[in-house]
Amino acid sequence: MKDLVGRLSALDPDAGAALKVIAYFDRLVDSHAGLEPIVRGAAVLSGRVARLTVPDRRVLIRVDPDGHRLGDGPPPDAGWPRAGLRSGGALCLERSGPAGPIDAMVLERAVAAVHGVLDRTGEREPREVVLDAAAPVETRLRAARRLGLGETARAVALDGGRARVQAAGTPLTSEERQGIGPVVPVPELPASLAAAKTALRFAATEPDPGPRVVHADELGGLAVLATAVGHDTEPAPDVVALDRALAGAHWVLPTLVAVADSPSLRTAATTLVVHHSTLQERLAHSEALLGWPVRDPRGRLRLQLAIALWRLHRNPE
Amino acid sequence: MTTTTPPPFDAELAAALEVLKEQMPSRFAELDIHARRTEYTELELSDEDLRHGGDFEFEELTVPGPAGELRLLVGRPSGPATGTLYYIHGGGMILGSHRSPDLAYALDWAAELGLAVVSVDYRLAPEHPHPAPVEDCYAGLVWTAEQFDGPLVLAGVSAGGGLAAATALLARDRGGPALTAQMLLCPMLDDRNDTASAHQMTGLGIWDRNANELGWTALLGDRRGTPEVSPYAAPARAEDLSGLPPAFIDVGSAETFRDEAVAYATRLWQAGGQAELHVWPGGFHGFDGLAPQAAISAAARAPRLPWLRRVLGA
Repeated sequence: MKDLVGRLSALDPDAGAALKVIAYFDRLVDSHAGLEPIVRGAAVLSGRVARLTVPDRRVLIRVDPDGHRLGDGPPPDAGWPRAGLRSGGALCLERSGPAGPIDAMVLERAVAAVHGVLDRTGEREPREVVLDAAAPVETRLRAARRLGLGETARAVALDGGRARVQAAGTPLTSEERQGIGPVVPVPELPASLAAAKTALRFAATEPDPGPRVVHADELGGLAVLATAVGHDTEPAPDVVALDRALAGAHWVLPTLVAVADSPSLRTAATTLVVHHSTLQERLAHSEALLGWPVRDPRGRLRLQLAIALWRLHRNPE
Repeated sequence: MTTTTPPPFDAELAAALEVLKEQMPSRFAELDIHARRTEYTELELSDEDLRHGGDFEFEELTVPGPAGELRLLVGRPSGPATGTLYYIHGGGMILGSHRSPDLAYALDWAAELGLAVVSVDYRLAPEHPHPAPVEDCYAGLVWTAEQFDGPLVLAGVSAGGGLAAATALLARDRGGPALTAQMLLCPMLDDRNDTASAHQMTGLGIWDRNANELGWTALLGDRRGTPEVSPYAAPARAEDLSGLPPAFIDVGSAETFRDEAVAYATRLWQAGGQAELHVWPGGFHGFDGLAPQAAISAAARAPRLPWLRRVLGA
């Protein structure tokens, strides 16, 4: 049968051969063939060892022109005909010297087919997919069904760029620092995640004694403030003053946070477990460090904003 | 019979078929047999192919046949033969020769096992209708059994598989040579051409129902599909499949012969015989030879040599 094999492999460099290459790979794509058949097609049609690397999938496939799968082989040679993949990898034909006339077409068609497989089989974590605005809505809805989310859900942003998706009504169980996104229809989960990430920027990190769980729904205008503070934003003078004050004594931070968050100074004293007069003394000292009064409404708002901005600077997006 | 959705071709085979179908149209029936024969002759194995890297010494012999001279290709291994592989080529009863390209795989097995190989140049239909082809095959088998000692395995592909099955029936019924085993690869067994797979695959693949009708009609003429067809022409017609040598049968799921091959294996078991049956998903007719690079083709080739070793006790 080897002469018939020859009909597939020994393609003449003419238009007819090009059509065969196109027909072969088109049919592989139509049949939803996997990566190895595509690499094998490239090897058989070019008459060379074909080598596919997809680093982010940890894929290395080498096939010889008889269709046999090979081991990893030598490191790739820069001179081999190659076609790059979007994701970084490449398909090479292991041959030195000038590329044959068919090679370019084989590489082009094979890489297009490889992309199709990678797109099709790039089944990511459904958790990840429902939160990805770039994924088609249909794909996100399918992922949501796999997660059993129902019609509406929320995103939760966690430290380290992690995220969680919760069906609406799921109680918050974790003590972990988190930003809670609003409950939205499933296709809007990427927006819920964006809001959750903003909320997370306001969540307290050590040694800040403020709330570690922040709801985006409760941010109000603070969400707008968040857009004003990026990596390179100069801290406002009040933030500089706050930082300076915090360096003064270990009790300054808990005191100012308690005052900013409490309905009254008496409540703040209770929270801090100090006598009211002690609190008054500490505040007087803190006000001197800050440079503005914090016990009147305007000063308190200024303090609250300074703390909010300070947190945004500590947790830049 | 209702035609249902056919099984899909294996992805790699489908791609190969896309390229091959230009050269091997399924609409065989529209083609001129003589033109096809000329084309097929160009694919014949060369003397160098037959030597198989020095594993065999080949000679073409002419032995007495049922109608005068019968040509045989006889390959002797370099060492003492451990047995003999009697090979019957394919070609739909209308094409091919004792040097047909499908003999190449038989040479691989024989070389591996140290077997002698005899390939028979049976007369072709329609010039030579039944029983000429099968009687030639049988005469060659009888000659082979007289020439070579040791185990004797009968093998064939497609029409050759059908003729091998028929030759085994003749050997049984005439008290002819004792056969060790029969290897029927995608065998052409049933002239009725009316199974579900034959209907499903109409117009698809390499050898479809129309091509099959052409082949059987060439062999049987007006008798094709009638109750008068002999089991020595179409082994599926045999009522008694007992007392036959162990069989290896393989076939693709996406081909005309799927159901008749499966039925033949089933009936061998029901008759108390032994058969090893492989049905390769998405395989078209002769896929392992026509698209040998496909993963499924490698899988289909793999069990043949181990089976031969077992039946030969090698």
